[in-house]
Amino acid sequence: MGFQRKAWLISLAAAWVLSGCGGGGADTEPLAPVKTIKVVGDSLADSGTFGLKFTVQGAAPTGAGSTPIWPERIASSYGTTLCPRYVFTGSAFNNAAGCTNYAIGGGRINNFTAPSSPVSITKQLTDAGAEGFAAGDLLLVDGGGNDAADLVGAYLSASRDGGASYSAFLKTLLPAATVDAALAGGATGMAQVAGAYMVALADKFHGSIESNALNKGAMRVAVLNMPGIDKTPRLQQLLGGISATAGAAASAQVQGLVKAWVEAFNAQLSKRFAGNEKVVVVDFYTSLNDQVAQPAQFGLTNAKSTACPITGMGTDGLPTYTFATCTAAALSAAVPPAGATGGADWWKTYAFSDGFHPTPYGHQLLSQLVSRSLAQAGWL
Amino acid sequence: MKTNQYIAWLAGTTLLAAAGPAQAQSAGSWMVRAGATQISPQVSSGDLTAPSFTGTKVDVLSDTQLSGGITYMVTNHWAVDVPLALPFKHDTVGAGAIAGVGKIAEVKALPITVFAQYRFFEADAKVRPYVGLGLTYAKFFKERGTAALTGLTGGTPANPTLLSAQSRFGITPQIGVNIALNERWFLDLAYYKTFVKTRNTLSTGQHIDVKLNPNTLTFGVGYRF
Repeated sequence: MGFQRKAWLISLAAAWVLSGCGGGGADTEPLAPVKTIKVVGDSLADSGTFGLKFTVQGAAPTGAGSTPIWPERIASSYGTTLCPRYVFTGSAFNNAAGCTNYAIGGGRINNFTAPSSPVSITKQLTDAGAEGFAAGDLLLVDGGGNDAADLVGAYLSASRDGGASYSAFLKTLLPAATVDAALAGGATGMAQVAGAYMVALADKFHGSIESNALNKGAMRVAVLNMPGIDKTPRLQQLLGGISATAGAAASAQVQGLVKAWVEAFNAQLSKRFAGNEKVVVVDFYTSLNDQVAQPAQFGLTNAKSTACPITGMGTDGLPTYTFATCTAAALSAAVPPAGATGGADWWKTYAFSDGFHPTPYGHQLLSQLVSRSLAQAGWL
Repeated sequence: MKTNQYIAWLAGTTLLAAAGPAQAQSAGSWMVRAGATQISPQVSSGDLTAPSFTGTKVDVLSDTQLSGGITYMVTNHWAVDVPLALPFKHDTVGAGAIAGVGKIAEVKALPITVFAQYRFFEADAKVRPYVGLGLTYAKFFKERGTAALTGLTGGTPANPTLLSAQSRFGITPQIGVNIALNERWFLDLAYYKTFVKTRNTLSTGQHIDVKLNPNTLTFGVGYRF
């Protein structure tokens, strides 16, 4: 027994000494057995339908060497890649079978001008749903930013055409009688009916995701809520214009309305998916607000200006940008704007590339946000 | 050693305990023990430095391992005690802004402590409570991040986020009791708290300061030579 006791003690001591050896590392295997990433949405999630990405271009506009956008970063977490399902030919969208990123720049939940075009996110969902979902699929959904911009544009146009186009726009989702009654209520009715439109838009979005994804076997769906588009440079430019012509109070009022409308959409979206274990709603809204309010916390040096240079002026009087020429190399070669830091890397800590889209780093931040939601669902 | 024999020892010594003569933990005695130890960090986390979600915190979960220790009686009352244990493996989980993300890392820990103990009552007392004060070197090693940590910090599987935990010294007050089972065998129970901080640094550049301040509960069956 004495020998055994000693042997036990010696082995304990040996284990104690040996345990100091060896290194660390990383487990890169996600918790959920996700094999395929499917994506529907708008420009934020477009892998290159139009031959480029809606951000600063990398060494290549699409494919290898191109800027990884947030759904591609998520795909890489699961050891897979994405390619655009629809390829724009100049006049039509060709179907690239085998590719699973259905998102298209300009994508809208309510694409009322062309409901059967794949620019409609509900059409993208229908196409994805037609192929069904496997247990190993993770569906990433973004949308609503362009819808919100449409709503703001229609609302602001009311002063020019007596509300005709605003009314027609609202009636694409709301019953005509509801719209007419609201618009008869003057300024208050005009503002409130936009909130009702946003609730109906969230219902439409939810309904499409439910019938085309959840009811077709999707087990894991992550839906981005609507970002506060009032924080984007484009809306800030628009609000600046209102401020210059109608005063700061009018501008602040419009910004308050836009904020309330976006929040109405997000509240309804959360409500419709509440308690559904197959769906996580990613709070893009709060995240973008946080980035703009505390840029340094997120490693940003500028969350107001655009990294890409202005290349023209739109018919709406707002600046336009050209992603094809806004490349990483061109920005690094350009003279940094006054106040920018980081030398040739100055643009890498900007939040926005153009007036409406994130920089590559903005996409990384968005992927980190989505990763948080996926991990909270137990999928990463 | 053979488990069934060990159990036989335990059973035998427990039976003998009532009748056996008291021990004599007098100056010059050596004692060894074996048992188990649980370490439960009582974490007070700082915030992960930028860039990060505002208020990113962590929590560290408890672990239990086989343990033992060696005690040398310097006088009839003063002892030097060195606990030994297999390395502990603590899971680190998200808290604060990343609450609910689950495990983001695991870290192996080997707390190396030398206690000075004062044992009450006479050397041959059946029950000897004691108090101790130790100097602890908390050695952390084999840190491993998870896929969730990599995703949360913008890494990729090809470029995963790595973690390193700084090993630190801490102070460890202790209370315990030694119960004689017979002339040679005894039970040892102790609770101690280690006041120790660490800094975890990520390969993405951020760091987070964490007060671990673990509670430790340990028991062992020992033998006096």
